[in-house]
Amino acid sequence: MALDRDVADEPARLEDFEARIARGEKIEPGDWMPADYRRQLVRMISQHAHSEVVGMLPEGAWITRAPSLRRKLVLLAKVQDEGGHGQYLYHAAETLGVTREELLEALLQGRAKYSSVFNYPTLSWADVGMIGWLVDGAAIRNQLMLAQCSYGPYSRAMVRICAEETFHHEQGKQMIVAYASGTASQRAMAQDALERWWWPSLMMLGPHDSDSPNTPQLARWGIKTKTNDQVRQEFVDEHVPELQQAGLSIPDPELRFDAESGHWTHGPIDWDEFWRVVKGNGPLNAERLAARRKAHHDGRWVREAMAAYAAGPRGVG
Amino acid sequence: MSAAAPDGQWPRWEVFKQDAAGKPHQAVGSVHATDPEHALLMARSVFARRPAAVSLWVAPAGAVVAVTAEQLAAGDVPGGAPAGDGTGAAEARYLVFRKSSHRRAMTFVDHVGEVTAASAAAALAAARAAFPEPPALAWWLVPAASVTASPDAEAEAWFAPARGKTYKQQSEYAQLPQRRRKARTP
Repeated sequence: MALDRDVADEPARLEDFEARIARGEKIEPGDWMPADYRRQLVRMISQHAHSEVVGMLPEGAWITRAPSLRRKLVLLAKVQDEGGHGQYLYHAAETLGVTREELLEALLQGRAKYSSVFNYPTLSWADVGMIGWLVDGAAIRNQLMLAQCSYGPYSRAMVRICAEETFHHEQGKQMIVAYASGTASQRAMAQDALERWWWPSLMMLGPHDSDSPNTPQLARWGIKTKTNDQVRQEFVDEHVPELQQAGLSIPDPELRFDAESGHWTHGPIDWDEFWRVVKGNGPLNAERLAARRKAHHDGRWVREAMAAYAAGPRGVG
Repeated sequence: MSAAAPDGQWPRWEVFKQDAAGKPHQAVGSVHATDPEHALLMARSVFARRPAAVSLWVAPAGAVVAVTAEQLAAGDVPGGAPAGDGTGAAEARYLVFRKSSHRRAMTFVDHVGEVTAASAAAALAAARAAFPEPPALAWWLVPAASVTASPDAEAEAWFAPARGKTYKQQSEYAQLPQRRRKARTP
């Protein structure tokens, strides 16, 4: 195992490295780091980048069907942000010695993972609002945690992303609250969206701590400062009262407030469904990948034109 | 530098953003582009979708000499490769950037000034002497000749539109209304 070899070869450097992290210092490109720290970061950051890129697809499908010009502007800006967030993250990964090209290639070939939640369909306009409120709400909880990360470039990308995603969350919440207090059909549309997005939103924060073997090491190295279940609890505690206040019914008969702990407790998560989607057999895994491949293929002439222009007499050559 | 094959990786450019006149340009990340003009346009789309930008600089990533405090402590300093056109010991201007805090931030190194030196190693030594405090956690030295700036005369056209897009601001959205519980059937 890579970690063992590092420990054997570089015990003093590893000790210094862990002491730096314990002091709250950021590790920067050029600093020594264990091979496993680099490997784990490339894995996490590239999955995160792919999630931003694939995350444009479920909502992007509704841009042409937005019910007003204002909502269209908002959705365009949100989807554009997700594309930008993917770029911030590919940049952070590139500081670890990988290229954006090889990461994108892994995505297009179906070898890379991205967030399971984007493999669910967006069946109504209310899904756009519910994704903003719940999916972005869950992502922000995770990203606020990762903004504390010990690796400088990842932390900085997270701070920038959180600052921008707050608007994604607010516009979604505002939209759903409006529909939940609107006409009967608007209320039904909001309730239907909640019923389909609630559990996938809980799942997207990752497997139970008991099924997250990497977490202790990631915590010791300051990559993750909270466990999946801790972040999930924060998400539930934040969103349950707000959804209830909006007049919506959360599809979990076991959901209750535990006065002793001060937390909301939820019923069991269907982890079989989670793993089915993660392993490529969710409702839309194949469609998402096909859409990404088509976009890459359709953009080829632009890349070729740019390269030809740069190679010509006017470019830097 | 040459543009890559059609589906290869375009060269990488480091991006520096200035939030307001009188503030330093700060390293915000990188973009891939075929030439400096393309890099500036990509930088605007990726890093200036929100207000608070008045100027962008881009430089080919390969031109940046980066050193961390840990590398300096270990004696791992950059070599004496000459700047500019590679004709030896000619002096060249280097822009100096440094990071001085572990505080959580969305930018990396800040522009603090410039030095003139015959090599990256000499530029680093000059920068450390000229900008000693507070202790730097990381240094970047960028040959001034490698930097391309967004056109100041067109700053309004480049950056003002982002200010009008107030729907991207969190403050634009009303908070959740206070409890107005409807009577519900039991």
